Amino acid sequence: MINDVWIAGGAMTPFNRRKDESSFRDWARAVVQDALDDAGLEPSDIDALVVASESDFFTLQLNPAALLADECGLVGVAAKRVEGGGASGHVAIQAGVADIAGGLARRVMVLGLEPSASHLAGPDVGGLYALSFDAWTDGMTGADSTSLYALSALAFMERTGAKHDDFARIAVRNRAHARHNSNAHLPLDIAVADVGASPVVAAPYHRLDCSPLSDGAAAIILARKADLPKLWRTRTRFVATAGATDCVRLGERRDPGFFAGKQQAAIRAYKMADVTPTDIGLAEVYDSYSGAQLQAVEALQLAPDTLRAERHGVFNADGSLPINLSGGLLGQGAPVGATGVAQILTAAQQLEGRYAGQQPARSPSRALVDTHGGIATLNCVSILEAP
Amino acid sequence: MKLHMSLDYTISEGALKPYFDALLRGDALASRCHSCGHVGFPARVICNICGSREMDWVTLSGAAEVIHRTDGAKSGFALAKFSGADTLTTVALTNPASKATIGRLSTPVGARPGLWLKLDETT
Repeated sequence: MINDVWIAGGAMTPFNRRKDESSFRDWARAVVQDALDDAGLEPSDIDALVVASESDFFTLQLNPAALLADECGLVGVAAKRVEGGGASGHVAIQAGVADIAGGLARRVMVLGLEPSASHLAGPDVGGLYALSFDAWTDGMTGADSTSLYALSALAFMERTGAKHDDFARIAVRNRAHARHNSNAHLPLDIAVADVGASPVVAAPYHRLDCSPLSDGAAAIILARKADLPKLWRTRTRFVATAGATDCVRLGERRDPGFFAGKQQAAIRAYKMADVTPTDIGLAEVYDSYSGAQLQAVEALQLAPDTLRAERHGVFNADGSLPINLSGGLLGQGAPVGATGVAQILTAAQQLEGRYAGQQPARSPSRALVDTHGGIATLNCVSILEAP
Repeated sequence: MKLHMSLDYTISEGALKPYFDALLRGDALASRCHSCGHVGFPARVICNICGSREMDWVTLSGAAEVIHRTDGAKSGFALAKFSGADTLTTVALTNPASKATIGRLSTPVGARPGLWLKLDETT
């Protein structure tokens, strides 16, 4: 178990497609200052910066950690940039946790950001994302993210009997949760029939089954208890964070529809925290696509029968294990480097009872956060504990 | 501010050069593990089953069966089982209008080295 790493505070910008001519540097400055205010700290209290940004193609800024330290008034800190595809933000959090737990830093600012939506045209972003898988095989054929997720979902559906309506219900519910979230990209009032009626992108996925390309930033400050003398009693504690990878190419997996790497990461996290899945009372799960949420829940072992639990409302806000009350990627949005940071921030604020959006029916004592890159190829799972 | 970049990459395939050279000819060159016999297509340098680094080359017929298939507005992709391979392979379909479930490896479209399957329209 991780003994002494706490979330001192955090902040995020709205996730959306920016049309206000603001820059990712502006978003970074805003969330860093807001996170400092939330934690009651000054810039001089921070001694390390970890930046999460998936691709220099989006920011068009190599060595972004040094640039952002300077832009955010943190010159002098130790700085690094980490990347793990869609999990980049969560990997950055893991790097920050390691710095604190290992005694390399006292207070770490983790800053995730991505101008995924506004810097490049959608087809160009899609072309770059195609390099997230095996660039030499899938990427060269133009296989896009949705098509590869669709092939995995088809294998999942064949094995489990899941129907598109099961996926569509998730697409609807996460967008409904997002309606309570002022930072959300897609707060939509839609029905299951609307999902099926939206244009097919790659069967079985329709447009409303897909998470959006978003712009945005999020920041979290990590610290030891001794370095948060006034705050730690009211803040969330990190009890576990683990990772695992899977075969990059779907066809080399024993079951292309099962997220085995995610399962391995989850098992490691449960063991590290000395808990079982039944101890989890809330989860933020990586729902890049509606069906991917169901595949993730299965791999995370959050219910004995995933499909039955989904159909019986277990994962609703008033269920026994609410999932993605932020709206998830489907509703809140997905500026890649910021995504995992925002997922953890949301879960922490829920545990602390100060989340402004959709609330669970019961106050949870532990939350699980799950993020991945590729088709659940690089997986991160963290477990947080309420104050 | 506006900026346009055009990048022209030259990427060495390294140990997998025979596999990529074969693809450009339309040939399915797979790897076969010297230790456990596992046949991988696309070819691998290290066996993903037993971890052996001793791999042989084996030429497959190129015939394949579609196991899962997804279609978009203008394109189709599939997980296909190539005859003689122990893995499934993600392929782009050269003729996605066809609903056939068997096909054959095609020379890459646009001379890019990815995996393309031409569905057999006579079936």
